[in-house]
Amino acid sequence: MLLQIIINGILKGGLYALMALGMSLIWGVMDIINIAHGAFIMLGAYCTYWFFSLLGVDPFISLFISILFLFIIGYGIQRYLINLVIRATIFITLILAFGIEIFINNMALVMWTADVRKVQVPYGASNFSIGSFVTIPYVRLGAFLIALIIAGIFYFVLNKTRLGRSIRATSQDLDAARLVGVDVAKTYALTFGLGVGAAGAAGTLWAVLFPINPMMGGVLTLKSFVVVILGGLGTMFGPIVGGLTLGVAEALGSNWFGTTYENFISFTILVLVLIFLPRGILGKSE
Amino acid sequence: MKAGIKWLRGLLISGLVAGLVLSLNTGAFAKNVIKFGCAMSFTGKKSRTGKLYVDSLKLATAAINKAGGIKVGGKAYPVKIVFYDDKSDAAESAKLIEKLIVEDKVNFLLGPYSSGITIPDSIVAQRYKIPMVEGGGASGKIFSRHNPYIFGTLPSAGQYFATTLKMLTSFKPKPKSIAIIYGDDKFDISVAKGAKKIAGELGLKVALYEKISESSADFNTILTKVKSLSPDALLMAGHTEGGINLVQQAKELNVNVKMISLTVGPSEADFRKSLGRDAEYVFGVASWSPQMSYKGIIFKDTKTFVQKFKAKYNYDPDYHNASAIAELAVFKSAIEKAGSLDPKKVRNAIAKTKIETIYGPVEFNPNGQIKGSSVVLQIQGGQVYQVYPKGARKPIYPMPKWKER
Repeated sequence: MLLQIIINGILKGGLYALMALGMSLIWGVMDIINIAHGAFIMLGAYCTYWFFSLLGVDPFISLFISILFLFIIGYGIQRYLINLVIRATIFITLILAFGIEIFINNMALVMWTADVRKVQVPYGASNFSIGSFVTIPYVRLGAFLIALIIAGIFYFVLNKTRLGRSIRATSQDLDAARLVGVDVAKTYALTFGLGVGAAGAAGTLWAVLFPINPMMGGVLTLKSFVVVILGGLGTMFGPIVGGLTLGVAEALGSNWFGTTYENFISFTILVLVLIFLPRGILGKSE
Repeated sequence: MKAGIKWLRGLLISGLVAGLVLSLNTGAFAKNVIKFGCAMSFTGKKSRTGKLYVDSLKLATAAINKAGGIKVGGKAYPVKIVFYDDKSDAAESAKLIEKLIVEDKVNFLLGPYSSGITIPDSIVAQRYKIPMVEGGGASGKIFSRHNPYIFGTLPSAGQYFATTLKMLTSFKPKPKSIAIIYGDDKFDISVAKGAKKIAGELGLKVALYEKISESSADFNTILTKVKSLSPDALLMAGHTEGGINLVQQAKELNVNVKMISLTVGPSEADFRKSLGRDAEYVFGVASWSPQMSYKGIIFKDTKTFVQKFKAKYNYDPDYHNASAIAELAVFKSAIEKAGSLDPKKVRNAIAKTKIETIYGPVEFNPNGQIKGSSVVLQIQGGQVYQVYPKGARKPIYPMPKWKER
């Protein structure tokens, strides 16, 4: 039974990791704490839902559509909104992100009502068993693998491409980056787009696993926040380590103390990490 | 320039006069309607179910007004409901109830949705001595405070699973153990406590009794525990989303129990739509089902109500909808019997209510909660049927294993 619980935790951790990837990227590069992250996840989830229920597009195909769609939204928001205040203090961007969140949530509420919806794929809950006591659901395993793949792609983009170099350059030294000819506004917009695109992917996978509604984002923002802090900023492996740690800790914790305390456990971990490892598990000390 | 100022002043004065006339007008108009106040969850976590009440209340007001309104001492008054959005927040709701009483000067109050929100609202109602009839809160905690101004049309939460457990012990071979999981919500806690007690009396072993966080979407850990304990039945007191998650994840982890029963969910169309075929055989509990047949006060009978409701809103009404109709039916008969809009007189008339509505017979216990019990539902072939006691179909037990469907 314990093995099953740990596996549950790892699979859930993969989803947490994917949720937090985008938030970590945006935070690390631009120092924006994107409060609206959960709202973007929600948009990704609805994107998948509508493609599935209106056109019958399989979620694992509409995954790419929601990444693209959210990338465009993210790019636009950064380019024409956040870039205007990016030089202001962190509170201004925080408030702006908060405003964006309220706007998106309420727009979703008006357009799609508060109805609980579910993507009903025929393979939704299918699974396979190893031995008599370990059961692994395919979709969760798939979500876990996709999270790893997307993290891998992010790693590749950031470290091996020109875009990645300019993203890293702007986050390290803005003036120097500008001097060598990096278009900072565009780089910022691309970064935000990538981060929000990853949120879209997380939304798609979330929609396959859980029911969705317009107000689902708030809790997810908090969870992503915990994962980012846990893993540490500035590395693509941070969110993965953070996500897996949180997933397993929650699963074990709720087994020992009861499911009610799931959130209690995650936020206790957050506080402990802030006290003892203020830069996160993988964070580098300065 | 001077002419401009004069013109501006003229505009201002005429605006003021128009405003004054308008406000006088609405003031006069307000005296000719019976105003109900209702703070309901239009947004937030409870908004999906909150909408069911709003839809019903709107349909019922339209029906009352079409039939001439409510008669008070020989004169008929139309009915109006002032709605506010409590954002699924109990503190917000209590504030809005105060606003409804003090600013909007409503005559009577209709309840919000969910027990946790009803409790603070009922305390405000008591403070201002305005009767509130609610159809959305069933926790015993609402009615144990000796509050004479609160009346509820949902049967006692502690008794919610009574019929289900009774049905369970009637099956052969007789089930031995059950698992009870419940949300950290006042209503769910009352349901679970009651179910545990009744299970003990019926000789059923409670193998697992665990609280879950309402904000959690993940039931993997608890289901893994259920799997290793393998009880005969899994009972959950929670809300719709939790129910959907539980059933889906039970299938994901291949957890096979002989019965899954949920308090909220199976009776709602959303639940069946969300889960599709996986919703089959899930049991539910309700104080009402559309297949019942009662004569009504606002609508002719249950069948007419169901037809009219479906025609207007294009979904099947469930017990929340019917319970909301009962709220207004209680007020209509009590106001007409009292022959006055005086809150105290109407309150006393409500306490003596003995009527039949499309929701069923309504009569209140001295603590304000309705006398009545719930029926057991089961989803069969994509439809909800009442299966116990009596009912259109027989209960299917045990439910087939996930892999054998």
